[in-house]
Amino acid sequence: MTSVAATAHGAQAHHDDRSFVRKYIFSTDHKIIGIQFLFVSLFFLLVGGLLAMQMRWQLGFPGKPMPGGGVLPETMAPGGVILPEYYIQLVTMHGTFMVFFAIMPLLVGVFANFLIPLKIGTHDMAFPRINMWSFWTFLIGGVVMLSSLFVPDGAARAGWTMYAPLSARHDYSGASIGQELWSVSIIFVGLSSILGSLNYITTIINNRAPGMTWFRLPLSVWSLFITAILGLLALPVLSGAAIMLLFDQIIGTHFFDPAAGGQALLWQHLFWFFGHPEVYILILPAMGMVSDIIANGSRKPIFGYHSMVFAIVAIAFLGWIVWGHHMFVSGMNPTLGSSFMVSTLVIAVPSAVKTFNWMGTMWRGNLRFHVPMLHAVAFVAMFVIGGLSGIFMAATPVDMQIHDTYFIVAHLHYVLFGGSLFALFGAITYWYPKMFGRLMSEPWGKVHFWLTFIFYNCTFFPMHITGMAGEMRRLYDPNQYTFLQPWQPMRVFISISAFLLFATQLIFFVNFWWSLWKGQKAPQNPWEDNGLEWSLPSPAPHGNWEKVPTVYRGPYEFSSPQVAEDYLPQYKKLPTDREPARVPLAGH
Amino acid sequence: METAHKRPNYILIWVYLAVLTAAELALAFELPISRNLKLVLLLFLAVWKAALVGLFFMHLKFERWNLRIMAIIPLPLAVIFILAGMSDHIW
Amino acid sequence: MTHAAATVDQMQPPYPAERGLDVYNKKLGMWVFLASEVMFFAALIGTYVILRFGATGEWARPGIVLNIKITAFNTFLLICSSVSMVKAYAAIQDGDPKKMRFWLLMTILGGATFVGIQIYEYVHLVEHGFVPSGVREGSELAALVANGTLPAATMGLYGSTFFTMTGFHGFHVTCGVISMAYLYFTKALPGKYSKQDYGGIETVGLYWHFVDLVWIILFTIVYLI
Repeated sequence: MTSVAATAHGAQAHHDDRSFVRKYIFSTDHKIIGIQFLFVSLFFLLVGGLLAMQMRWQLGFPGKPMPGGGVLPETMAPGGVILPEYYIQLVTMHGTFMVFFAIMPLLVGVFANFLIPLKIGTHDMAFPRINMWSFWTFLIGGVVMLSSLFVPDGAARAGWTMYAPLSARHDYSGASIGQELWSVSIIFVGLSSILGSLNYITTIINNRAPGMTWFRLPLSVWSLFITAILGLLALPVLSGAAIMLLFDQIIGTHFFDPAAGGQALLWQHLFWFFGHPEVYILILPAMGMVSDIIANGSRKPIFGYHSMVFAIVAIAFLGWIVWGHHMFVSGMNPTLGSSFMVSTLVIAVPSAVKTFNWMGTMWRGNLRFHVPMLHAVAFVAMFVIGGLSGIFMAATPVDMQIHDTYFIVAHLHYVLFGGSLFALFGAITYWYPKMFGRLMSEPWGKVHFWLTFIFYNCTFFPMHITGMAGEMRRLYDPNQYTFLQPWQPMRVFISISAFLLFATQLIFFVNFWWSLWKGQKAPQNPWEDNGLEWSLPSPAPHGNWEKVPTVYRGPYEFSSPQVAEDYLPQYKKLPTDREPARVPLAGH
Repeated sequence: METAHKRPNYILIWVYLAVLTAAELALAFELPISRNLKLVLLLFLAVWKAALVGLFFMHLKFERWNLRIMAIIPLPLAVIFILAGMSDHIW
Repeated sequence: MTHAAATVDQMQPPYPAERGLDVYNKKLGMWVFLASEVMFFAALIGTYVILRFGATGEWARPGIVLNIKITAFNTFLLICSSVSMVKAYAAIQDGDPKKMRFWLLMTILGGATFVGIQIYEYVHLVEHGFVPSGVREGSELAALVANGTLPAATMGLYGSTFFTMTGFHGFHVTCGVISMAYLYFTKALPGKYSKQDYGGIETVGLYWHFVDLVWIILFTIVYLI
């Protein structure tokens, strides 16, 4: 850190004499933990991508030996030709890694940890040691899941949703210990998530800086807060379900075994009762960060800040009573099904409110299309497409036709990739300077964005069409059905687009890693933003502030008439500002 | 912190809990009443005991309303889940 | 980070800060954690209710497989340990660490005895042929199934749900006993709790009462219905 940075608003923390191990490996510093999550999750994102590439090889070029497939064992891909038993593992593990080990930890593990104390104005989380455990249990879960790819009889293979009794019985699935390892890994992931959530919730409630009232919190913090509540209450249900599945697998219980009185549908209810709040966990933080970035890129306050907050709360609230829309064809009680249809249609409303508010924010703004802004705007567009396909599926009669087809695959990738992952690319670029003290390359960021955007839409948009035509998901060989054979050219097109999409991500990875050492040194506030984190040097020091800042206004005071610049930070005191009601104690 | 209050009589609560437990045992094994009525009454007694522990031992009666809300929130979610799961078997 | 730790450990909301819930971090954290625990037990108990409600065929009548007398005593014991816990809390609130240590020790012993009795029960049940997968072939209980005293169709579910619910409850009790013992030896005995700082006692107390609360529900719905 230069002396220029040190004399800026936030003074340096006290002298840091921790050992290397305590500083970077077993660290309790929320910023380091966030960065640990970042490195590990990016690795798992790569793993998930590699699994998808193999799937797309089989779908685009069925029966042909895959380049590099020689490394795979004969039982999975003899001569590099993928077998059905291996294909279904690819499907299952791609979903599992992407949801639990890539997107969720990237959004929550990285940004809740990194941003919350910085954006609310405190030294660290309420429980720094529990925070550390949260990362290490996550890592253990990841290692266990990764190891399941290499065990005899291979990995779990009942889809990422792990429906029982297929997943519960080895004689049904053909897997053995791979299935158990999935359950064990998920138990660790659940624990990690719960420990994290309790930290985020306690910290945001109790440790906000003076003047940081609830309605001066940035939307990124609001969304992370509500997401933490969702995680706190949903993950234990998954943990319970995974435990019961594990017991069915190894000690002979019969929770999900119809032959002994168990209920297959019970698994679905348990899983989706968790699973639906989970998908809101996967989107809300992205929405929150996109709000921050769009306000910054538009040089305007967020349009409808209060309604944005209420929309987040409404989405979270309604998210508990829509889970049955994943089970419309399961044979559950039809009256219950109808109630789920209604609640699912209703939940579109708060999401739409948010979409219009983003557009209202951009309208007649002094737009700056920096790389994060490009990703944030793409998020809005892609999320709208994903949301619209969701409306189709919400209607039970329509879902009867398109459930378990590629229409669903298109929907989920539009919201998870077009939505969450684009938001993540933008957020990583945006907060990279505060994490590492350097800027990522802007020109290469733009190249990565545009190529990703093009190849991404080429990959996933056609899936709406093939799904409508009846192409089922998780299907090894669509060509076994004559009505799907004419779609093979489309499948080839999708596969090639997917390969190009994956290759494009190399640009992001190189940009990310190269910039850590060779990137342009970042100033304190490169985006001219208002949040509290920008009052600190880049990178932010251990302990954040010596004395926590005082907050005088909300986070979106862009183009304010009170100052000449087009931004007015939360922590900047103007002559007309009063101190907040609570006075800081001496020494803080 | 908590609102100022007179400390509850913990021993008295203990007596209530003991009496309710005895009532439950009597109800479950001694009284000749129908199964469904038994179920309802036993659940009622169990919830009453749980409420005593929550309100007095865990001091929820004397905490701020928003802490009480936080403690209560999981319960409706649990009920919704259980009712939905049961509904698959009532048609 | 010692300056941050100093504010967090005491029983005031951490300054400087906006008004949160007027509850210090440890206590708020425990309540938040307990909310997640409610959901965890809701999954297990909900499963039991759904499986039992949807089962075709009778469920075993109460008292035949499980020992009500011992478990009723165990229930009473756990309730007593909850009372001793709250008395420990009241004692340190009044500034009497000696009394607090006594009641905390009683709580630990009560909890440990509860676990001991549960383990004894489990061993007993397994010996008689009741296991998580149901009833073991050729055991005493298998004979009861054969003569119609116990319903064959649902014993598998009975075993699965019983052992999972009570097992995880017992696991939580064990964690509670270990935590209290840890606090007893590292904080209570060396006299680190006082009228100004007893957050650890209150926090572990909340956990202990919760564990008691769950058992109150479990005892009723698993043993008595």
